[in-house]
Amino acid sequence: MSLVRAERRRFFKRRLTRWVFPIGLLLLVTIASILFAFHSKPTAEARAKGEAAAEAMYQEQVGHYEQYKSQCGEKCPDDGWAGPQRSDFRAEDFMPPSFDFKAMYGELFLVWAAIMAMIAFLLGASFVGAEWASGSMMNLLTWQPKRMKVLGTKLGVMLLSVTALSILALGVWTGILWAAGELRGTTEGLTPGVWQSFGLTALRGMGMILAFAALGFGLASIGRHTGLALGAALAVVIVGQVGLSILFQMVRVPFWEQYLVPVHIFAWMSKEVKLTDFSSPETVCDNAGNCNPPELLITWQDSGSIALGLVVVVLLLAFWQMRRRDIS
Amino acid sequence: MTAVLEIQGLRKTYRARGGPRRALDGFEMYVEAGQVHGFLGPNGSGKTTTLRTLLGLIKPDSGEMRILGHELPRHLPSVVGQVGAIVESPQFFAHFTARDTLSLLADAGGLPKERVDWALELVGLRERAKERVKTYSLGMKQRLAVASALLKQPKLLILDEPANGLDPGGIREMRDMMATLSAGGMTVVLSSHILGEIQLICDSVTIISLGRRVAAGPVAEVLQAHSSGQVKVALETPADLSAAAQVLIAAGFQLQANADHLTLSGVDKPALIARLLAERQLYVSELTPVTADLESVFLELTGTAPVPGQVRSVDQSVRPELTPQNGVGA
Repeated sequence: MSLVRAERRRFFKRRLTRWVFPIGLLLLVTIASILFAFHSKPTAEARAKGEAAAEAMYQEQVGHYEQYKSQCGEKCPDDGWAGPQRSDFRAEDFMPPSFDFKAMYGELFLVWAAIMAMIAFLLGASFVGAEWASGSMMNLLTWQPKRMKVLGTKLGVMLLSVTALSILALGVWTGILWAAGELRGTTEGLTPGVWQSFGLTALRGMGMILAFAALGFGLASIGRHTGLALGAALAVVIVGQVGLSILFQMVRVPFWEQYLVPVHIFAWMSKEVKLTDFSSPETVCDNAGNCNPPELLITWQDSGSIALGLVVVVLLLAFWQMRRRDIS
Repeated sequence: MTAVLEIQGLRKTYRARGGPRRALDGFEMYVEAGQVHGFLGPNGSGKTTTLRTLLGLIKPDSGEMRILGHELPRHLPSVVGQVGAIVESPQFFAHFTARDTLSLLADAGGLPKERVDWALELVGLRERAKERVKTYSLGMKQRLAVASALLKQPKLLILDEPANGLDPGGIREMRDMMATLSAGGMTVVLSSHILGEIQLICDSVTIISLGRRVAAGPVAEVLQAHSSGQVKVALETPADLSAAAQVLIAAGFQLQANADHLTLSGVDKPALIARLLAERQLYVSELTPVTADLESVFLELTGTAPVPGQVRSVDQSVRPELTPQNGVGA
């Protein structure tokens, strides 16, 4: 327990933790505040204006349609379209946007998870990388020679600390969005089922944040320097993502987007992503004779399995080399 | 006396680009309880490798090590609480204060907080304990490192270059502190290149060269054993020095001519010199034995004395043959 206490204190005393987390929190608050500022509660006056604008737009479109029909007469193609319908012109589309908490909160989990995942990667990498680079790890091992215990405690403390910071950030994020719903929109329709769905999305978000934290920690531990983790991240973004996407498009790799990290992040958070291969000469037809380009469904389980495998391999390597390699 | 530290036949080979490099080659070392023991060797001789191996940071290829009777590295976790160590110059987080640094280590070791103030007081950093380490001078960082090693109130204190960066006053304080700690029953292993300090502080020494022990024992015995029987000879008339040199060379002495005196080596009977010279009407004004100091013994044993006009490579020192006196047979 003494090592856990020391590592927890060390984590929260670190300058990076004290700077990066508040910066991330500020970013979330700024985004949430912008959302708050750009939405407003629908008033009777705004609704009346919206209704009037929708009606005016409908009439304008009907005028355009009738003019078109009169110009082409009998030559008009029979495309089965009966002209603009009044129901397509909704007052809401002509009103200042209001914040529907139920509709928007679930989608905005991605923003919180993505910002916290970046912070977690940096904190995880630097927590162990700076220890190696500064010689503090060697110093610590002269106090606690059980290497597996030291690295395991560091990893555990870092993950728990990141979890605490992420929950705090989620609380702030949710608070501002809830206020936006209450004051600049609506919080109606929040059934237990909706809250359950939010809870599961939050759990997946937390899983993603912890995976990034563990990856940063593992890579920095293998390289014994924060720079290795940051370099690997940069290489994945530049070479693995930008470079590969250009290459795969050029050589027409089917469903090349499946090799991109953001696609898997989106699949993980949104439960699934459907990719369509528009470049394929083949089509897939259903029983009704409707033919479409081939599609590939990536589920959150698919993306989760890949991420879990990657995290496990990196951490195993980190622990293995901690056990085997000399410390000099 | 009881051996606090025992090393036998320690071997460690590093894989390097230019081929394997033997850092330790059957090294032996014994340190008795309550002693201040100097651990000397040229750069790259294996000192730091030895200390790191003792502390479990490096895995040896073979050999036996014991601290306080516990076999290492197997029982290191049970004995590490009684071993305080600094290896080379430990770095600390620059933005932590000295108190934070020690307090975190005390937490990691499950030590009471009062120890932090005690250690800071001992190394003279108490007044500056709330300042960040980045504002510290090299000497102050070194004091902090020593404080971190003392925090455990260890039975065995291992210090690698503790005087590095200290001012003369700091070096003297460090020397006094070693004496006090040793008098209190603590065993201190001190690695340093300030050989004058080692000679003043230490009860015994071990000298290592290219991974093998070249000398070990009480300081006085090592100096005595490697004293080359040199004597300094000065004449009443310095102009007669060259004539005297010819007489002595003819008598089979090895000598070195200096501006105002001659230095003779391997002299068993100094009186013979006076008699030989007096027979030629060359009268001696001074005939004194040259006492070997630790520095000259070290340079002789390790073969690292500078030679004018030659540049010595780091690894260029003496590798002694393995004998029962300096290690186990290969």
